[in-house]
Amino acid sequence: MAKLAEAAKGFDQFKAAVARNDLSTAKRLLTTLKLKLTELAAPPPVYERTPTSQQELLLAREVLEQAVLLSVRLQDEAAFERNFMQLKTYYTDSRSLLPASKAEALTTGLNLMRLLVQNRIAEFHTELEVLPAEAHASRDVQHAELLERWLMEGAYNKVLAARDSMPDPAYAYLMERLLTTVREEIAGCSERAYDSLSVADARKLMLFASDQEATAFAEERGWEVKGGRVFFTGMEASTDAAELPSKELISHALTYARELERIV
Amino acid sequence: MALVQQPTSAANLLALLEEDDDSLRLYALQALDRVVHDFWFQIASAITSVEAFYDDEDFIHRELAALVASKVFYHLGELNDALTYALGAGALFDTNEQSEYVQTILSSCIDRYVEMRRAEAEGREAVVVDQRLTVIVERLFSRCFTDGQFEQAVGIALETRRLDKLEEAVHRSPDTVGILTYALRVSQDLVVSREFRFEVLRLLIKLYESVESPDWVSICQCLMFLDDAAEVAKILERLLKGSEDDALLAYQVCFDLFENEQQAFSLQVWSLLEHAAPRLPQAAPDAAAHAADAGAADAALPAPAAPPAPTGATSAGFTGVPAGAAPAAAAAQLDAASEPTGGPEAAGLPAGGPAGAAAAAAADSNGRGAEPMDTDGLATLAVVAHLSPEEHAQAERWSKLHGIITGVTPISLYLEFLSSHNHADRQILKNMKAVVEVRNSVCHSAVIFANAVMHAGTTVDAFLRESMDWLTRATNWAKFSATAGLGVIHRGHLAQGRNLMAPYLPPSASGSPYSEGGALYALGLIHTNHGQAIRGFLLESLRSTSHEVTQHGACLGLGLAALGTGDEEVFEDLKGVLYTDSAVAGEAAGLALGLLCVGSASDKAGELLAYAHDTQHEKIIRGVALGLAFIMYAREEGAETLVEQMTRDQDPILRFGGMYVIGLAYRGTANNAAVQKLLHFAVADVSDDVRRAAVLCLGFVLMGVPEQCPRIVALLAESYNPHLRYGAAMAVGVACAGTGMRAATDLLEPLLSDAVDFVRQGALIASALVLMQQPEAKVAALRKRVERVVGDKHEEAMARMGAIMAAGLLDAGGRNATPALRSHSGYFRRTSVVALALFTQYWYWYPLSYCISLALQPAALIGLNGDLRLPAFSVVCKCKPSLFAYPPPVTQEAAAAAAKVPTAVLSTSVRARDKAKKKEKKKAEATADAPVDAPAAMETDDSAAAAGPKEGGAGDGGAAARASANGVGTSANGARTKEAPEEPASCRVDNPGRVVPAQERFVELDPAARWVPIKPQRAAAGILVLKDRRPGEPVELVSAAAAPAPVVQQTPAPAPAPTAAPAAPARGAPPSRNTDDEVPPPEPFEYTPP
Repeated sequence: MAKLAEAAKGFDQFKAAVARNDLSTAKRLLTTLKLKLTELAAPPPVYERTPTSQQELLLAREVLEQAVLLSVRLQDEAAFERNFMQLKTYYTDSRSLLPASKAEALTTGLNLMRLLVQNRIAEFHTELEVLPAEAHASRDVQHAELLERWLMEGAYNKVLAARDSMPDPAYAYLMERLLTTVREEIAGCSERAYDSLSVADARKLMLFASDQEATAFAEERGWEVKGGRVFFTGMEASTDAAELPSKELISHALTYARELERIV
Repeated sequence: MALVQQPTSAANLLALLEEDDDSLRLYALQALDRVVHDFWFQIASAITSVEAFYDDEDFIHRELAALVASKVFYHLGELNDALTYALGAGALFDTNEQSEYVQTILSSCIDRYVEMRRAEAEGREAVVVDQRLTVIVERLFSRCFTDGQFEQAVGIALETRRLDKLEEAVHRSPDTVGILTYALRVSQDLVVSREFRFEVLRLLIKLYESVESPDWVSICQCLMFLDDAAEVAKILERLLKGSEDDALLAYQVCFDLFENEQQAFSLQVWSLLEHAAPRLPQAAPDAAAHAADAGAADAALPAPAAPPAPTGATSAGFTGVPAGAAPAAAAAQLDAASEPTGGPEAAGLPAGGPAGAAAAAAADSNGRGAEPMDTDGLATLAVVAHLSPEEHAQAERWSKLHGIITGVTPISLYLEFLSSHNHADRQILKNMKAVVEVRNSVCHSAVIFANAVMHAGTTVDAFLRESMDWLTRATNWAKFSATAGLGVIHRGHLAQGRNLMAPYLPPSASGSPYSEGGALYALGLIHTNHGQAIRGFLLESLRSTSHEVTQHGACLGLGLAALGTGDEEVFEDLKGVLYTDSAVAGEAAGLALGLLCVGSASDKAGELLAYAHDTQHEKIIRGVALGLAFIMYAREEGAETLVEQMTRDQDPILRFGGMYVIGLAYRGTANNAAVQKLLHFAVADVSDDVRRAAVLCLGFVLMGVPEQCPRIVALLAESYNPHLRYGAAMAVGVACAGTGMRAATDLLEPLLSDAVDFVRQGALIASALVLMQQPEAKVAALRKRVERVVGDKHEEAMARMGAIMAAGLLDAGGRNATPALRSHSGYFRRTSVVALALFTQYWYWYPLSYCISLALQPAALIGLNGDLRLPAFSVVCKCKPSLFAYPPPVTQEAAAAAAKVPTAVLSTSVRARDKAKKKEKKKAEATADAPVDAPAAMETDDSAAAAGPKEGGAGDGGAAARASANGVGTSANGARTKEAPEEPASCRVDNPGRVVPAQERFVELDPAARWVPIKPQRAAAGILVLKDRRPGEPVELVSAAAAPAPVVQQTPAPAPAPTAAPAAPARGAPPSRNTDDEVPPPEPFEYTPP
C-alpha cells in the first residue's frame, strides 16, 4: 500500500517535471519510479493478486506510457524501444485485467513509426499482425500503415505530404527522421541509377529545401560535386557474384563419389 | 497467491536489462531467472548481454547472470557452456535441487571431472582440475553419503578415480561386505584403465581384509589379477591351518582360482605353499612329501605307460626310469607317477612301491580327485605310521589343496561328469557321414571335427572305431587333424592321455609324420592348463624330430601344454624352430611362442616382430602375428605401441595380426577407442583379410557386453563385401557365444541364406556358438537347417563344412558343454578366449579348429564335501524340466519319413510317379549303407535305443539308465508311462548334475538341507564345496553307478589297503555299462592309395 502510494507520489512529481519541460529531472525521476515499480507485486512478471493489483497495474502502465512519450521527446530511440517493450506486456498479457488505455493508440502508432524510421520492416509487420483488431481502426495505426505502403510503393512525395497530417504532435520527431530514411533510400537508388545528376535535380529528387543542403548531403555521402553536378563516385559496380569455382566443385564431387564407393 | 496471469513473453524483462541502473538490471535478472525455463528462446537472442554482465568484473551480481546464462545454454543443448556458467554461478547453483536442469548439469559436471581426472592421471598433458568442479563433486559425494546411496558413491568414486572417496564409502556404509562386493564387480566392468583397476583392486583387498569375515574367494581372485601369488599363498595357508570350515573355504578358493585358467599363477601359488606345507617330522619326510606328489599325479613326471603297443618299450627307455619300476606301473596300468628322483626311491622302499602302485590303480579306476589323498594316506601310513592324527589331518588337507590348485581334482571331476553324462547323438554323425561323399575331403574332415567336438572330453571314441575304413580316407593334414581330434575327445584325461595316444606318438610304427604331429598336438589339447607332466615329453619329441609336420604338431602341443607358463627352456626351443624358417613348423612355432607367453607383454615381442619382417613365408608371418596378439592378451593400453607398429605396417598379414592384438588386448573391455579403431580398419583397409579380422575382433572386444555386439556390427553385416559379412557373423558368434541372445540370432538369420558360401559357413558356425546349450525350442530351427544344408548335394562345400561344424558345436561335449568365456565369478578365462581366437584361424588352417574344445566348459553342478567326495545332494531348479532337457535323439525312422515326402508330392501323373519311383530307388541305393548300420547303432547306443519308441517325452534319452544321473529324475521316469502327466513346474538336480548356463538363475539351494555351500553367495554352478551341517551322521555318497568312472580298466583295481578304509566303500567296482565302450584305442591307420 505504502509502496503504491509512494510510487503514485513519484509519478506525480514526474508528471510535474514533464509539464515544466524539465526533461533531465524527469528522466532521473523515471528511473527511481521504475525501481519503485519493481517492488510492487502485481506488475509483470510476478502477477500476484494483491488487493490493489488493479491500481498497481494501472499506475505501472501509465508510468511506462509516459516514459515512452518522454523518450520521444528526448529523441532517444533506444530508450523508446526499451520502454515500449516494457509497456507492451500491459497491452497484451494483462489486457484483460485493465480498462483500455487512452494512450495505447498513440504509443502503438509511435512504435510502428519508429520501426519504419529504423527501416525494420519485418518487425513492423510482425507488430501489425499481433495488434488486436480494434487497434487497427485507430487513426494512429492507419497512419503508420499508410506510410509504410507509400514507402514500399516508392511514393515518397506522399510520405512527404503526410508530414502535415500527423495525428499527434508527438510524431513530429519521428516524421523528421522518416524523411531522412526516405532520403537515404532515394540516395541509394540514385547511386545505382545515375552516373551523375545536376545539383538541382538532386535537390528535387532528395527533397531538400535548398541546393546547399543537397551539396552538404552529397559530401556527407562521399559524392563528388563538380560544376553543378553530383557525381556518384566510389560506387564502382563491384562485379557481381564471384565466379563459381566449378572446377573445384566437380573435383570435390568426384572425390566424394570415390570415397563413398570405398566405404562399406 | 494465485497468479492472475501467466506471462507470455520475457521481452519486457530483456528491455529492463538494457537499463542503465544496476538495481533495475538486478531486478531484471532475478525476474529472468524465474521465467528462464519458459522463455529461454527469447533470452537466447539476447544472451550476449547476459554474458556481458557475467564478464563485467564490476557488476556485483555477475553470478546471477551466470546462472541465467547457464540455464539458457542448458536449454540450447550447449552443455559445455551451461556447465562453465553454472560453475561461474558459484553458490547460486543449488546442487540439491531436483530439477532436470540441475541433474543434467551435475552429470555433465561429473563427466567433465572424470575426463579431467583421467587426463591428469594419464599425464599426457598438464591438466589442472578446476577447483570449482572438485567442490561440486565433493558436495555430491557427501550428499550420497547422507542419503545412503553408497553404491552410487562407489560408482562415482571409481569413475572419478577418487580412491579416498571409495574408501570413505566403504567405511561409512552399513553393509560393508555388500558394498565391497559391488565395488569389486563394477571395478571389473567399468574401470577402463588397467593400471587404475589394479590400484582399485589393491585398495579393495586392503578393505576386504579389514572386515570381520572376509570374502576370501573374491580376495584371492583379486590377487590373482594383481599376480600376487605370495599373498594368495599366505591366505590359503592361514585358512588351511584354521577350522574345518576354513579349510573348505580354501578348497573353494582353489577351485575358483583354477577355473580362471591361469596355470602359471596356480603353479606359483603352490610352489610358495609347498615351503609352508607341514613337514612331517622324523622318519623320511622326503618319503612323505614324495607320497603326496605321487598321489597327485601332476607335479610328477608320469612314469611311462606300459603300453599295449610294442613301441612303448622305447618310450620307457627314454624317460630313464629303471626297468624295475616299470612292471609295477604296468600292472596298475599307468602313470601313477613318481618324480624323476623319486623313481629309484620308490623302488627301494618295499612298502612304498606297491602302495603307490595300488593307489595309482585306484585313482585310475575312477579318476576322482579324492584318490590322491588316499594314496597319500596310504603311503604316509605305510612309511611313517607313528604320525599324530592332527598332523595327519593337516597333511591331508595340504595334499587335497595341492590336487585342486594344480587342477588334477577339478579336471578329473569334469572328465567324469562329461563321460557319465555324455548325450552325444551318434545318429547325427552317422547321418552326416552317410550323406557326405568321402572324396570331398573338406566335408570329410569336418565330420571328423564334428565328432571330436561332440565327444569332447567324454572319452567316447566309439564312432571313430566303428568307422575305421571311412576314417582312413583322411590323408596328410586331414590325418593330422583326425589324430588331433582324439586329443579333443580325451581332453583332460590326464591319467591315460599319453597311453591312448601312444600308438601314434613318435616314433610310431606307421612312421607317418602327420599322425605323429597330430598326436603331439593332441597331447597338448589333453593337457592344456595342466601341462607340467607332458611338457618334458613334448620337448623331447620336438628336439628329436626334424620333420616339419611333426615339429608343427609338437610346437602346437607344447604351446598349449605350457600355456602361459613363460617357460624359458621351451621358449628357446620354439624360437629355434621358428628360426629354421620352415613355413609349416615356423607357423606353429610362432603361435606356440605366443601361447607360451600369453598375456605377458614380454619384450620378446619386438624380436618376434622383427623376425616376421625378415621372413618370406606368409605362414610364419601369420603365426608370429597371432602369437604377438596372444602375448598382448588383456594388456589393454600396454599393447598400444605394438598395435601402432603393426597396424601401420605395409604387410597386410601384420595388419591382420594387429587387429587380433587389439581384439585380445582389449578383450571384453568394450573400450571405445579400440572399437573405433577396429571399425576404422573394417571400412578403410585395402586388404579383405584385415577388414574381416577387424570386424571379427570386435567380437572379442565386446564379449564383456554381448548385448551391444549385434547392434554395433549390424551395419557391417549388410555390407556388400562378403568378408565383412563373414566377420560380422563371427563377431556375433564370439561375443554372444552360449547366450542364445535374440538380437544375435536375428542378425545371423539373414546371413544363413547369404549368396556367398563362406558367409553362410560363418553364419552357421556363429549360430551354433550362440545357441549352444540353449533350450531346444530355440535350437530346433537351426538343427533343421543344418541337417538340410549337410544333406543338400548341390550346396557349396564351404557351406556344408560350416553346417557340419555347426552340428558338432551344437552338441559339444556330449551336449554338456558351452564355451565359457567367463568363469562363474565373472572373470574372463584366458584359455577359453585364446582358444576361441585360435578357433577363428580355421579359416587358414583347419587343424586349429580343434582348439574350440579348450573353450568348452562343462555345464556341471558338482558338490563336494570336505573329503572332496560327492555327497548325496540336490538343488531345486525352478523351471520345467523339459526346458533345459537334452534334445530327443534323432531316429532312423525320421530320416526314412523325410525320404518319402517327394513321392507324395510328385504323384500327379503316371509319368511323374514312374519318375518318382526311379528316384526313390536311386535314393535307396544311395543310402543303402545307412540302414545296415542302424541295428548296430541301436545296440551300442543305449540312449537311442531307449528313446526310440518313446513319443515326444519330456525327458531325455536313456530314461531309466540315466534318470538319477542327469538329474531330471522325476520327469524322466514320468515320461515312461504312456500318458505323459502334467509337467511339474520344478525339478531336482542331483549331484553331480547338469545345469546349463541359462538355467543357473532358476537354481535354488535349500538352506535347510544337510549340505550347504561353504560360500553361499556364489552362483550355484561349477564345483561347489559343501559344508556338512550334521557332521555326526553317516555320509551318504553318490553311488558309483550314478556317476560311473570314465575309465574302465582291463585289470580290476586291487582292493585298497585296509588302512585307507574310510575311502573304500565309496569306490565301487567300475560299472559294467562302460566296458563295451572302452576297447583299446583305435589301431593306427594308414592310408593306402587304391
